[in-house]
Amino acid sequence: MEGSEISMESGSSAPPETIDLRRELAETHVQDVLDQLDRELVGLAPVKKRIRQIAALLIVDRVRRRMGLESETPTLHMSFTGNPGTGKTTVALRMAQILHKLGYIRKGHLVSVTRDDLVGQYIGHTAPKTKEILKKAMGGVLFIDEAYYLYRQENERDYGQEAIEILLQVMENQREDLVVILAGYAERMDQFFRSNPGFRSRIAHHIDFPDYTDPELMQIAKSMLAAQSYKFSEAGEAAFESYIAARRKQPLFSNARSIRNALDRARLRHANRYFEQDGPVSLDDLMTIDAPDVLASRVFDSHPSEK
Amino acid sequence: MRITQGCFSFLPDLTDDQIRSQAQYIIDKGWAVNLEYTDDPHPRNTYWEMWDLPMFDVKDAAAVMIELDACRKAHGDRFYIRLSGFDASHGWESVRISFIVGRPKTEPGFRLLRQEGPGRRQIYATQAYAADRPEGDRYKS
Amino acid sequence: MSLFDKRLTPTEAPKRGRYSAGVMEYRDMGYWQPDYEPKDTDIIAVFRVTPQDGVDPVEASAAVAGESSTATWTVVWTDRLTACDKYRAKCYRVDPVPNAPGVYFAFIAYELDLFEPGSIANLAASIIGNVFGFKPLKALRLEDMRFPVAYVKTFQGPATGIVVERERLDKFGRPLLGATVKPKLGLSGRNYGRVVYEALKGGLDFTKDDENINSQPFMHWRDRFLYCMEAVNKAQAATGEVKGSYLNITAATMEDMYERAEFAKELGSVIVMIDLVIGYTAIQSMAKWARRNDMILHLHRAGHSTYTRQKNHGVSFRVIAKWMRLAGVDHIHAGTVVGKLEGDPNATRGYYDICREDYNPQNLEHGLFFDQHWASLNKLMPVASGGIHAGQMHQLIDLLGEDVVLQFGGGTIGHPMGIAAGATANRVALEAMIFARNAGRDILQEGPQILEDAAKACTPLKQALDTWKDVSFNYASTDTPDFVPTVTPAE
Ligand SMILES: Nc1ncnc2c1ncn2[C@@H]1O[C@H](COP(=O)(O)OP(=O)(O)O)[C@@H](O)[C@H]1O
Ligand SMILES: [Mg+2]
Repeated sequence: MEGSEISMESGSSAPPETIDLRRELAETHVQDVLDQLDRELVGLAPVKKRIRQIAALLIVDRVRRRMGLESETPTLHMSFTGNPGTGKTTVALRMAQILHKLGYIRKGHLVSVTRDDLVGQYIGHTAPKTKEILKKAMGGVLFIDEAYYLYRQENERDYGQEAIEILLQVMENQREDLVVILAGYAERMDQFFRSNPGFRSRIAHHIDFPDYTDPELMQIAKSMLAAQSYKFSEAGEAAFESYIAARRKQPLFSNARSIRNALDRARLRHANRYFEQDGPVSLDDLMTIDAPDVLASRVFDSHPSEK
Repeated sequence: MRITQGCFSFLPDLTDDQIRSQAQYIIDKGWAVNLEYTDDPHPRNTYWEMWDLPMFDVKDAAAVMIELDACRKAHGDRFYIRLSGFDASHGWESVRISFIVGRPKTEPGFRLLRQEGPGRRQIYATQAYAADRPEGDRYKS
Repeated sequence: MSLFDKRLTPTEAPKRGRYSAGVMEYRDMGYWQPDYEPKDTDIIAVFRVTPQDGVDPVEASAAVAGESSTATWTVVWTDRLTACDKYRAKCYRVDPVPNAPGVYFAFIAYELDLFEPGSIANLAASIIGNVFGFKPLKALRLEDMRFPVAYVKTFQGPATGIVVERERLDKFGRPLLGATVKPKLGLSGRNYGRVVYEALKGGLDFTKDDENINSQPFMHWRDRFLYCMEAVNKAQAATGEVKGSYLNITAATMEDMYERAEFAKELGSVIVMIDLVIGYTAIQSMAKWARRNDMILHLHRAGHSTYTRQKNHGVSFRVIAKWMRLAGVDHIHAGTVVGKLEGDPNATRGYYDICREDYNPQNLEHGLFFDQHWASLNKLMPVASGGIHAGQMHQLIDLLGEDVVLQFGGGTIGHPMGIAAGATANRVALEAMIFARNAGRDILQEGPQILEDAAKACTPLKQALDTWKDVSFNYASTDTPDFVPTVTPAE
């Protein structure tokens, strides 16, 4: 870790009396990542708060270590629980950057996997697969989505067990080399931790991702559109509001991801609508999602099923 | 004797941290890291046994150290282990760095065989003393 | 290119019939074509022209184009039996040399058909054949050449190349180490082999015959080869490493050279050596022999300073380096910058790039006037030799990189504890410096400290550093690039 200006000259002089933690935050550019998180992600207030707390802890830990105060490598493995589309993967990416900027991981990349990437199909297949992934993740963050699929209660000889054992070992022995984030639905993760206490004890931070409210989803929709130089017409916005309310009640609802998918389909209809009508198209037309683009969704059918 | 193949054999045996620094250099260059081992260190023995496939996609030397540890556990002090960096870019497509990271405790070295040739010529051959024993049985203490 | 902005203006058109008998200015004969755009397939040469007092620089440059291609001093009607417009070399640009009044760079384009494929002798006969003695010029120097890919492809290129040389030697990731056996002359074969054995066992990869070691009364060549190979094989067994000794096969005739080369091969040598003075044709012959026989071919540039060193007259070494990469040698002495022989740092960088890169972009600061594609010709290993020692290791690696042979002759054999100790000192210094560089240290700044630390575990290195710590050769270079970096105005 590079020393910054407040670093102590080795041993000789006494530690300086005061330390400017805020400057530390600025110098490591962690503040930039936190700001970016605030700007880019709608809502998620409790999550953002937890991240700031963790960042504060790590900065203090870093300063303490530099001052020669006793401290061992902190455990940084985390669990992110919440329904699909609540921003777990997105936040994990930012977390990797924060850990990198603070020097807790050397590279700062994120390797995102599921059971199939870790667990093999036959004897002797799992260990090399898991090791291969671990090797790729070294120096960064390993994000295991729906981690509970690693464990199959009903089958003692499931190959997932082998992956779990290797993971546990690395999480314990190579804490300076990588950080593991386990993610998935809250209840199933709870169940998983209960059956695998080894994991629970190695996880330092649990962060819960709440579902988004309707107004939050609306805001997310607008920011997603803006990022692609689209906007809603007034009628379009009203239509989308009712879309959100309807979609939430249907199966496989996945928060912000459902919004992203709905907008993709709305853009498709928008484009085709202009092909079906004659006459020239204005720049504004090209940017504006209107009510018909939304209302044609099957979400509004009497027998709802969304692909 | 001490076999001086590779680019760091004249330095004291590298510590793990030192090996790690060189492995990271290789990774940062965008080269693949390769581990090989042998108990036949003849200078013309090109093909040492590969310890698994070359590591093409790792970002951090910790990954290399995992494999090196495993290789040491399996072949430890009865084999030579070398670590190399392979550059696949056009015009090279070859090894760019190679050094020994493990060697047997004792190295008996090589016998220089001479055969009288015509005139005053000698026909030379180099033979590892250890190679008198079958593969896998060499360098046993 | 703003550096060339001060172009001379074209002169008026010829006044009489082009082919009427008599004498005519070269520029009026078609050798000056300021509007000519060189074709991708043209060979281009840039000359440094110093006209006699009163001679117009454009006429002088046109004369160089004429005399190095189709012209003679008078008009000949037989030109009209040929596609003479095509065959005439065209001087298309004449620029004053920065800070050198009365001296000009003349750029001349040559049609590809003027040259025999794959022959340096033919190329040299045209480009530097007659023209250097031409009376209207005070002096003339061939500065640089650009070869089209089509022409490059007619040459074999380095017989082995850096990549395969390293694979064959099983040596990667660091410069190779060599030493020239000293004293240059007088050792018997038996004593000569002793030096080779000590140096190789101590840690060098190569030893080297000197350029003038051939077959003299004190040591005939077969004797030398036999003792050297005894030493090489013994050192190989003592270290487990591949070792080599450049056996100089330079001789009076091709037949003698082939005989020596064959003997070296029969004895199992990995490398043979020739001198530049054997001539371009002999060099190309030996390069072909080396390719056929899996042999590394080392070239000592003996004699080059007679025509490369003075800036106003001769042939620049960068041209020789290009010719030698085409001709097909594997090693070429290309300067050390810090050692005892001529070598400006920027010019030397240019030579090294010519040897090792597949593409050289124009780089006036390094003396490279043109973009040059090498069309995947093998890379040529540069050799740094002459007055260098272990204490300069950080500077050498920083300047020259790792694909180079560092030759410490005196710096090995002159070690107070003996030759093997000298070799060990160099090898330890080298490995410690490469290790430190790879580990991310700033070797140029921390070099002396890195060496000192390495010397703690290596007494021979400690002694080497103490012995040569104050040796340096700081003299002004005579051959430097003419262009210094300047802020160029927007065009
Ligand atoms: N708060 C938010 N603001 C804006 N976009 C979001 C937000 N949360 C999630 N998204 C977007 O929704 C999609 C799914 O998010 P993701 O992080 O993969 O969720 P999870 O991992 O919880 O399933 C991504 O395209 C992401 O950019
Ligand atoms: Mg996700």
